[in-house]
Amino acid sequence: MISPTPRPRTRLDRQFDQIREREEQGTFRAGIRNRFLRKMVANKLALLGGGFVLLVIMAALFAPLLTEYDPLRVNLRAMLQPPSWDHLLGTDKIGRDIFARLIYGGRISILVGLGSALGAALIGVSIGVYAGYRGGWLDAIFLRLSEIVTAFPQIILVLILVSIVGQGLENLIVIFVLTGWGPMYRMMRAQVLSLREEEYVQALQAFGLSSVTICYKHILPNALGPIMVNITLTTAMFILQEAGLSFLGLGVPLQIPTWGNLLNVAQDLRILQNYWWVWLPSAVMISLFVLAINFVGDGLRDSTDPSLQG
Amino acid sequence: MAHETILSVRNLKTYFYTNNRCNKAVNGVSFEVKKGRTLCIVGESGCGKSVTAATIMQLLPKLSRIEEGEVVYHSASGDIRIDQLERNGKAMRALRGADMAMIFQDPMTAFNPVYTVGWQIEENLRYHTHLSSGERRERTLELLREMGIPLPEQRATEYPHQFSGGMRQRAMIAMAMACRPKILIADEPTTALDVTIQAQIFELMERLKTEHETAIILITHDMGVVAELADEVAVMYMGHIVESGTVADVLRTPAHPYTKALLRSIPVLGRGKQQDLEPIRGATPDPYRRPVGCQFMPRCDFASDACLKEPDESTVSATHRVCCWHTDQVQRHV
Amino acid sequence: MSAYFIRRLLLLAPMLLVISFFIYLAIELTPGDIVSYMISPELIADFSPEELAAMRQALGLDEPFLIRYLHWLGGVLQGDFGYSLASGVPISDIVLDRLPATLELSAVALFFSTLFGCVLGTFSALKRGSATDNALTVFGMLGVSIPEFIFGLAALVLFALELGWLPVGGRLMPGYETLGDRLPHLVLPGLVLSLTMTAGVMRYSRSSMLDAMNREFIKTARSKGLPEWRVNFLHGFRVALTPVIVLIGFRLPLLIGGTVIVEQVFQWPGVGEQFVVAVRAQNYPLIMMIAFLSVTAVLLASFLIDLLTALLDPRVQLD
Repeated sequence: MISPTPRPRTRLDRQFDQIREREEQGTFRAGIRNRFLRKMVANKLALLGGGFVLLVIMAALFAPLLTEYDPLRVNLRAMLQPPSWDHLLGTDKIGRDIFARLIYGGRISILVGLGSALGAALIGVSIGVYAGYRGGWLDAIFLRLSEIVTAFPQIILVLILVSIVGQGLENLIVIFVLTGWGPMYRMMRAQVLSLREEEYVQALQAFGLSSVTICYKHILPNALGPIMVNITLTTAMFILQEAGLSFLGLGVPLQIPTWGNLLNVAQDLRILQNYWWVWLPSAVMISLFVLAINFVGDGLRDSTDPSLQG
Repeated sequence: MAHETILSVRNLKTYFYTNNRCNKAVNGVSFEVKKGRTLCIVGESGCGKSVTAATIMQLLPKLSRIEEGEVVYHSASGDIRIDQLERNGKAMRALRGADMAMIFQDPMTAFNPVYTVGWQIEENLRYHTHLSSGERRERTLELLREMGIPLPEQRATEYPHQFSGGMRQRAMIAMAMACRPKILIADEPTTALDVTIQAQIFELMERLKTEHETAIILITHDMGVVAELADEVAVMYMGHIVESGTVADVLRTPAHPYTKALLRSIPVLGRGKQQDLEPIRGATPDPYRRPVGCQFMPRCDFASDACLKEPDESTVSATHRVCCWHTDQVQRHV
Repeated sequence: MSAYFIRRLLLLAPMLLVISFFIYLAIELTPGDIVSYMISPELIADFSPEELAAMRQALGLDEPFLIRYLHWLGGVLQGDFGYSLASGVPISDIVLDRLPATLELSAVALFFSTLFGCVLGTFSALKRGSATDNALTVFGMLGVSIPEFIFGLAALVLFALELGWLPVGGRLMPGYETLGDRLPHLVLPGLVLSLTMTAGVMRYSRSSMLDAMNREFIKTARSKGLPEWRVNFLHGFRVALTPVIVLIGFRLPLLIGGTVIVEQVFQWPGVGEQFVVAVRAQNYPLIMMIAFLSVTAVLLASFLIDLLTALLDPRVQLD
């Protein structure tokens, strides 16, 4: 008999033994813990992220309560001062309080990010649902249009429009919406195309409901999950874009504080190296905020996507 | 004519450890596989028949292990305790493909979609033979021809999605038989195929038996397949073999309530609409909440208190074994 | 295969045509003297106003829009991109001068992100649940959240300014022209540009690999007694690769757009930096031509990726 020596017990074996013992004695930990463990961890991150996002939004809304400084007030006697109890995050090149600019800046950055995402979603969803449902030349035109728009690197499109219409807060939001509706449209269209063949839609058609009603009252609610996920992730994308544009000085005009604007000074190597408090807080804030949003988005995706198995 | 035993499975237990729970998927299974004979393992889904097959080839997922028991391969150079071999170690891998091979239920997903069929068959030859690449190609074409695939020169350069269902299954059998394994394990090989194609595949498998003395382990849930192909039968329920014997023994004189119930619940072509079809009452228990004692007790017409203790194996005849306290009753009952 | 190639080509050409039409429309509609765009400034300086007016006529500025568009298109196809409004330099000169720099940067970033993303993602998938896997997941999340330019600024401060290991910016020092000399300059911008893409590719290839390893053909491969490395790479990774390549194709616009900002951070003399200059100066013809160039690059690259996908996955050709 060719019988090699029995396999050595590994750590995995010991774990198995433990589980088996528990099972036989009826004291097993209900499988729930492990199956949901990953979901709960992911959800913990999502909750953490959501909490942070909420915290920042609150801080931005209640800015006047958190700081007595006016973010726009210039004070040439207090230029480039490092953080102190007086100025929590120091002052910038012309004496403006950084902490105040950070908090007030949050207002604009979040407004731009969320506002554009919602706007893009509104357009993308409306077109996607209706054109996708009707099909035919309407759908074909929008499809080609979205292909052309998404073929351009978005920042280039945005900059073209900025150069034409000029900088400005409202301008930027409109530009973002006009250049960013593509992905949402494509996603909705895909959803509609698959849902369109479902039986309940045919039943609704048989009942004589108009296309508009079928689209917006019946098909749309079924796609809400992915829409929410997409909006969160698009918000993150727009905040990053705004930051990048403002860093170049081509986003929101420099007078209005945004997180991106604060970074504009970092183009100066002297400031970059020696006066870290002027740009680092904003950099960290943007990163953390976007990270938090990504956690929330991932968590939403995990809980709304039925095909994902825990 | 006596057939040599080529594989012995004794008291095999395979447990799964997913989700921090212990699932006793195979809980004490014994059988023998003989050269040139077909053993059919039959049972409902979830009874552990596929797991048994996977255990023999040690193709188990990571969170599982062979708990107890022996799987002994009687090779030409001695007996090998497969259960002791390292799962993906050299010794086990040398056996897989060369001494034993497996074919799967869905040939479309069992083939890798990005490589040609010829390439995938040659891969098998590459790792188990010392043929040159030209010889491998020849052999591949030979195999395809043998399995009844026309125009093998062209077919070998095609991709799996270009084959029809029946031809894909033949190609899979060709791949499995490439190194002339002594044991072929077929896991529901015809479930995904049309009835007419099924018949062709069965014919092919019969030929393998007679021409190469291949031992075949056929996993199925279909009693009709058993009737067609089996030489020996093992009926599985909830991880146990409840009855085993030759096909004549088990199908003509079933000795276990489950077997009897299974046979009664199958419609027979030709008997007409007035057949008495009796579905087995109750449902398969949750594997995590097994009944105490005999697993079939909650659904059994012959159950009694004695069944709270797991039945020992008893012999009905030299070839026919069963695990039931009431087997005499069962056999007498018509 | 060739049928697929032709089909894809037939989709590409009309798209480019339509885009070129819009580009020219934008050039005409935006402020700026169209004549300055079309004629070399030296010539303009020589002429008197009457001659200029006659020239406008000769140029066909009276002709219908479509004819003007076709003239322009003809010029573009022959390499005449017009003249920059700001400096009078031929745009093709400006672009050609700076294109190698941007191509170098993009190629490095693409190569790096594909290689590292795939390797790390596959490794993560094979060692699922291990400490390394978890650490890499965290890095992945950070990678897609931190804006590239911020990463660039931080890297700049740390490695160039503080530690002095790498140059602060620019592409090369005068006199140092070989690739070896240029390499230190390339490291930081290349790494920074590839950050987001690497993180994305890593995450996606991890999930793609996990998917692939769960499929039936892996079991078949094992049942043939193949060694684990062959099962993992020739079967698992090979199948997981195709969706990842498709993803990279989708993300290409982001990579090319990223050069705009990264070139600013590192003072890299590429097309992206020139684009920002043009935007600030409202030099519309230059803006439009660079935009046109970037779209063409994206579409060409997508086309190549489509071909690659068809090579990798024989089922694609049936579309």
